[in-house]
Parts: sequence; C-alpha cells; structure tokens
Amino acid sequence: MSFISWQYLLFLPCIFILYWTLSGSKRLLLLLAASYFFYAGWDVRFLALVLSTTVIDFLCGLSLDGKRTAPLTALLLSLTPAAWTGVCYLFLPSAGISPGVMGLAAALGLIFFGFHELLWAFAGEGRRRGFLILSICFCLAILGFFKYFGFFVQSARTLLETAGLHTDPVLLKIILPVGISFYTFQSLGYVIDIYRGVAHACRSFVTFAAFDAFFPQMVSGPIERGHQLIPQLEADHPFKPSYLQDGLSMILVGFFKKVFVADNCAVLANYAFDPATHLNGYWAVLGVVAFAFQIYGDFSGYTDMARGSAKLLGIDLVENFRFPYLAQNPSDFWSRWHISLSNWFRDYLYIPLGGNRGSRWQTLRNLGVTMLLAGLWHGASWIFVLWGAYHGALLIAYRFPPLNWLSGRDDRFSWRSWLALPLMWVFILVGWAMFRSADLHQLWAWFASLGQWQASLDLPWKSSCGWLLIHTVPLILLQLLTLKYRDETGVRNLPWPVRGTVYLLLLLLVVSSSEQDKEFIYFQF
Amino acid sequence: MKKLITPAFLMLVVILALAELTARVFFAQDISGRFAYGYDPQAGFAEKQDGTVKLFRAGGRRFHPQSFQRHRPPDTYRIFVVGDSVPRGPSFKEAYPWLLGVELHQQQHLRVESINLALPGYGARRCQVVLQKALEFEPSLIIMHVNDTNKWEDEREWRRSLEFQGWHPSHWLMKVFIFRRLYEAKLEKVFWPLVPDQIRLKHAVSDADAQVAASKDPEEIAARIRLAQETMVENVALVRRHHIPLLVISQCRLEKDDGRPPHLTDHGLEAMCAALSGPGVYHLSMREVFNGPDFASYFADSGHLKSQGHRLLAEAIARKILREQANFGLPRVKVAEAGEAAGPSEK
Repeated sequence: MSFISWQYLLFLPCIFILYWTLSGSKRLLLLLAASYFFYAGWDVRFLALVLSTTVIDFLCGLSLDGKRTAPLTALLLSLTPAAWTGVCYLFLPSAGISPGVMGLAAALGLIFFGFHELLWAFAGEGRRRGFLILSICFCLAILGFFKYFGFFVQSARTLLETAGLHTDPVLLKIILPVGISFYTFQSLGYVIDIYRGVAHACRSFVTFAAFDAFFPQMVSGPIERGHQLIPQLEADHPFKPSYLQDGLSMILVGFFKKVFVADNCAVLANYAFDPATHLNGYWAVLGVVAFAFQIYGDFSGYTDMARGSAKLLGIDLVENFRFPYLAQNPSDFWSRWHISLSNWFRDYLYIPLGGNRGSRWQTLRNLGVTMLLAGLWHGASWIFVLWGAYHGALLIAYRFPPLNWLSGRDDRFSWRSWLALPLMWVFILVGWAMFRSADLHQLWAWFASLGQWQASLDLPWKSSCGWLLIHTVPLILLQLLTLKYRDETGVRNLPWPVRGTVYLLLLLLVVSSSEQDKEFIYFQF
Repeated sequence: MKKLITPAFLMLVVILALAELTARVFFAQDISGRFAYGYDPQAGFAEKQDGTVKLFRAGGRRFHPQSFQRHRPPDTYRIFVVGDSVPRGPSFKEAYPWLLGVELHQQQHLRVESINLALPGYGARRCQVVLQKALEFEPSLIIMHVNDTNKWEDEREWRRSLEFQGWHPSHWLMKVFIFRRLYEAKLEKVFWPLVPDQIRLKHAVSDADAQVAASKDPEEIAARIRLAQETMVENVALVRRHHIPLLVISQCRLEKDDGRPPHLTDHGLEAMCAALSGPGVYHLSMREVFNGPDFASYFADSGHLKSQGHRLLAEAIARKILREQANFGLPRVKVAEAGEAAGPSEK
C-alpha cells in the first residue's frame, strides 16, 4: 500500500495504537506482522524474496559472529521462502505460483543450507570470509536476477549482433519486486558491518526480520544500518507525546512535498519528457526544472513520511535529504541527496576499493567506479549508467582547476556561493535530463532542443511557468523557514503560532491537490 | 493529554472548525445543492413561502439570477429553456431566451415569461433533472436543447455526487466543505486555465472538457448520440405526460478542419430529434437556422453563439411558435395590454 493511500491512513493509526498498547517481544511481532502485511499489499509473492534475504543474512550474520545455528533450525529457516511460495500456491491461486517456482525456491534454500553447513567445516578468517562471500553472492544474485537479468541479456544480444552474430536469447518476463534494491542493500550492510566488527549479530530472528522488513523504510529507504536500527526496535521504550507530534509533523511535510509539489510538477515534466512531444528550448528547460522538483518532492516526501511513520513508533530513521539544491559542488550534493545510499556506497564500495588513500589516479578510479555502480543501482538501463558516469565525471572534474576553486571545505554560504550554486544547479539539471530520459535518443533530442528557442507552434509555456511557480514557491518558502534548523522537517522547531499557521497552509495545499494513489518514482528502483 | 495536544495543533483544529462552521451556518444556502453536482432533485430552484421561486445554483453552476411565481399568472405564456452553455448565452439579456420573450411580446403583445434554465456543461442527464423540476411550475412551453458534448462532464459530476454521499474512507476528508471546495477550486480555477490543453489531455482523468475534446473517435461520438437519444426519449415521455408542448432544438458545431472550408455539423442529432417529433413534440434544427452565407459570423467558437447568433435563433423560434400557434398553445393566452412588462424578473 502506498503512503498516500487511504488504506495506509487507516493502517498506520491501527499499528500506532497496538504498538503502544503492547510491549516487549509482542511489539516486535506486531512490527513484523505489520511489515509483512504492508509489503504483501504490493505483491504477496515477493514476500518470499524478503524472507530469502532475511534468512540468508540472519544466518550469515550469526556465523560471522561465531555463533553456529543448529542445523535443523538453519534448514528450516532456509526452506522458509519455499514454504511461503507453497502457501501462495495452495491458498492464493491468483498469485500465479507454480510447482516449478516452489521447487526452485526449495532447491535454492537447500543449496544455501549446504554452503552454510560446509563453511562451518572451516575455521578462523577463512570461514568468516566465506560467509561474507556467501551472503554477498546470494543477495546480489537475487537482486541481479530480478533487476538486471533482462538488461544484461539484451545488452549482450545487442553487442553480439553488432559483431554480426545472430542470437536467440532466453527472454523472461521478470517483474521487479518493489524495494528490492533497498532491503537487499540494507541487509548486506548489516552483514558487512558484522564482518568488520562494527556491529554484533542479532540473536533473534524476529528482531532481525523486523529490521529487514521494517515497513516505513523498506520499499524506498532510507537505508538503515543494523547497529542503529536494531537497538531501537529491541528497546522497550515508553510512549512520549513528542513521538506523536513530531511524527505527524514529518508526515504532513512529506505529504505536502509529494502531493502538492511532486505530483503537480509531474504534469509538466511528464509532458516535456514524452517521446511524442516536440520540444523547444523553453519546454526543455521548463520540463527539466519541473522534473527536478518532482523527483525531489517525491523522494524526500516519501522519506519524510517514512521517518514520520517510524517516529510515531518512537524510532528514529536516518536523515536522507538535507536541502540538496543548495549544494555548491558535487560532493556537497551527494552529502545532501539520498544520503543513506551515498553513505552506503562510500562505506561498502568506495572505501574498500581504497577510497582516497592511494594515488590521485586510484582515487579518481574509485570515484568513477563507485558512481557508475550507483547509477546502475538506480535502474537496469544504460541511461542510468550514463547518469552515474556523469556524476562521477563531475566529482572528478571538481578536483581539478578551475572547478576545484568552487569546492569549499564546508557548505557555508560565502561569496563563492553566488557562482557555485547556479553552476551546480546547471549540472544537476543536466543530470536530471539524463535520468529522466527514456533512452539516449531522447536525451540527445533534449540537448538538441536547447538550440531551438522559437515559440512552440501549439504549446504556450508562459502559463505553465505560472503553474510551476505556484507549486514550487511554497516549498522554497518552507525550506527557507526551516533552513536554520538544518532539518527539512524542522517545522516542529518553529514557534507555535508560526508552526500552526504553517501546518494549516500545508494541509490546505495538500487537500487542494489530493488525488488517489499516485506512484512514487523511487519505487521503481 | 495536555502535552499531547500542542497549541499549534489546537490552533489548526480551531481555525478549521470555525471555517467549516461558518460555511455550514452562514453560507448554508450557497452550499445547499453545491455538492449534489447537479443531481439534487431540487435542481437549484429555491421556493419561498410566498410562492416566489428563485433560481439559485445547481451543483457548481449558477443559473442566470431569475425568479418567478410558482403558479403561472393568468394570461401569461411561460417558456422554460433547458440546455447547456449554448442557450445560456454570454449574459442574461444577450441570450436568446430573453430575446424570445421580447420578440413574442413585441409581435403578438403577449405577456411572456421566458426563463433561461440553461447551465454550462450540462449534458442530457443533468438537463433531465432540471426538466423534472421545471415541470412543477406550470410551463406553457418547454424548449429543450440536445447536444452530444457534455456526456463526460455529466458522468464526472455524477461520480462526484456519489463520492460526496458515500462513506468510503477515501472520501472522508472531502466531507469537509472547506476541503472539498478548495480541491474543486484548485482544479477548475488553476489547473484548467494554466495547464495547456494538450497537457491536460494526457494528465487529467476527470477533466470533462479534455476528454470530450480528445475524443473524436467515431465510436465515442456514436455512444454520446445514443445516450442523448435515450435521455431525450425519456424526456419526451415525461413532458407528454404533463401535456405540455415540447420544442426540441438540435445543436450544431462549427467545424474548421484542415483543407475544408468551415462547415456546420450536428453528428446526427438533427435526424435523431426529427425522429422524436410527433404530437406535442416539435423540432428546430440550429443547423438549418444558421444555414446562411455568413453562418460562421454568428459563432463565438465551435459551439457557442455571439449576440447576433442568439438574436437570429430567437427570431427563428418566435417565427415557428407564431406560425404554429395552435401547436404551442398560444391561442389560449389573452393579449397583454400595451405597457405591461413581459418576461421574468431578473434578480
């Protein structure tokens, strides 16, 4: 179910009341059940994948911590995903699960169990490394199959045909499970942290499963760290009024960003990036600016609602956005945009590759590879790879003259900012044009339209500018109000008369634009 | 509890509650029927105790302000014109219903009340609601316009009226008048004017105008004609039961296709209305009325008429009524004395 659906607006209060009525392990069971129910609302079949990731990383985590799970328990856990497919097969025929899928799930579960038991025959660092590799391989294999199989097969086919070799590849209709990139990375991060000794393994399967599937952040982040979220889930904290106040405040701000800003900006962005649209320069700029606000409102709005929902339960999720369009250079931008993902790639890819500890060229290589993979994470398409490469190139370019002059040591506003901000905005917009384009052909058409400034024959753009202003100025004003708190949801820190007025205006703006069930952009990742 | 309810939250709730209360108490009449979206059986007719009937609003659309007596005064010929924005006209006195009343009065010295019950965007279904109400007020003649362009708006408004009456959780928020009014104002006053038509076509699922404009599909047009026909058959039967003459006017559109000179088209409405003609039911084709050399000059756009277009139509209807007086019930009305005013009171 979507955060902006009436179903969620009924679901959340029920969970809130039940959560604070219960305590201890019952709360965890409630969270787990609620999370699985929430995810099943998207696609009940893919709970099997969530269970797979959970079981793999729970068992690998314990093993990395030196705790051996009893073989029978490990076997039963390994077969849990297959058992779920069996439940779907027997009781949910509309799910379309075949005996073949059940068999495959069981086989994979047994293979994992086999590796799990085999690795316990080893000792010391070799065993630990083995479990790390096992977790990474299985999790990335699941992610790779569901997200990238079609992409790689099609790309290989194109390459071979370019070389004159005709192929007839297996093409499967693979559905991308919602949130797979997010919960897979979150789970992997947990395992890697245990390997590094940063965290200890969670002893309780229920707790770990609740961490892996925690409904506010499961489908679109923020990507949490185990040692930050699990203790909060385990803590039997009492209710505080501030949880309700802060939570609702965050949810309202998130609603406003999604419903009023993002969905209304989408009206123009979708038109400008429709392949059938004949663009001119005005519409190319208008469309990409609209998309910049759409994707920001959509994603940060979702994050705010996720954080607000978690806050209602007394749980703090990490900040994921911090005024990204005030970034003055690419490093600054990535410390403000999708912060949890940036940090994940920094901690689990960039630094292990060597980070900036090697030579300058090694550092640049590490930056490029990290950003390429970050782009690929967003989607199985060369356009996303290009987008990632573009941002990698920007990060690299800002390390050299003359752009390094604009790379300040902190993000404070100075006289250099008058140049740095607009320039960074141009770079960001070009990046969004890549991100939004369906393919290279459309991207090229967008660039080409920047040279055509004659008025469109049939599409006035001035009134559309008014539409865009109406839906972005309130957001800008809200951000100016909360800038000093360095928190996008800092409305709750304002004096109460101002806060009340802001809440009233946000609510009225949300209501004025409310339409049912508009999808979030980042669900496709 | 005190800590749970912050001053900011209290302020929000109090302001909203006051606004809602003010709307429901002090603007009750203004709101009344607003959220029935034209499907309120009262259809925007507000009757006072002294027998005065005032035309107010039906759904989100306002009548031209008019009033009349419940019981038709003796020796008065009362005409009700039911239709959409075409007969509604640019203003009360520029629209043909008023001009028709003046014309009949001038030519035959008749005491005439020609009441404009037309509302913008009204299709066959909602016109039927207005007709059903109008029949309570002793008309001498009903003039009913038939078009095929407002089916989607009728259906959208019907959907809205059901949503407003329903108690599905997805509609709870819109039970609050303030919220609902704000949402509709944003849609109609901001979205429709600011966003170009081509974009609205791709985006809006509830934009009646966009759907109608988008649909030049012959099957869609045929479906609209069928709906108009079914509704007109019901209307004819209804009016016949009341033994009131009915003049059906089939509307037409001025089309300017690429490569062809401007021409008038009715998408089969004329034939449909002609087929409905019979005892007590008469037909006038707008396409025939405007079938002169300068027909394009009478149209403000593809469907609406300019002032001179309304005048021409009023004259054509007056000629028909006067030519077929027996059919339209004129001989039973006494001649008005010179100096007596004709027409309803405009308020």
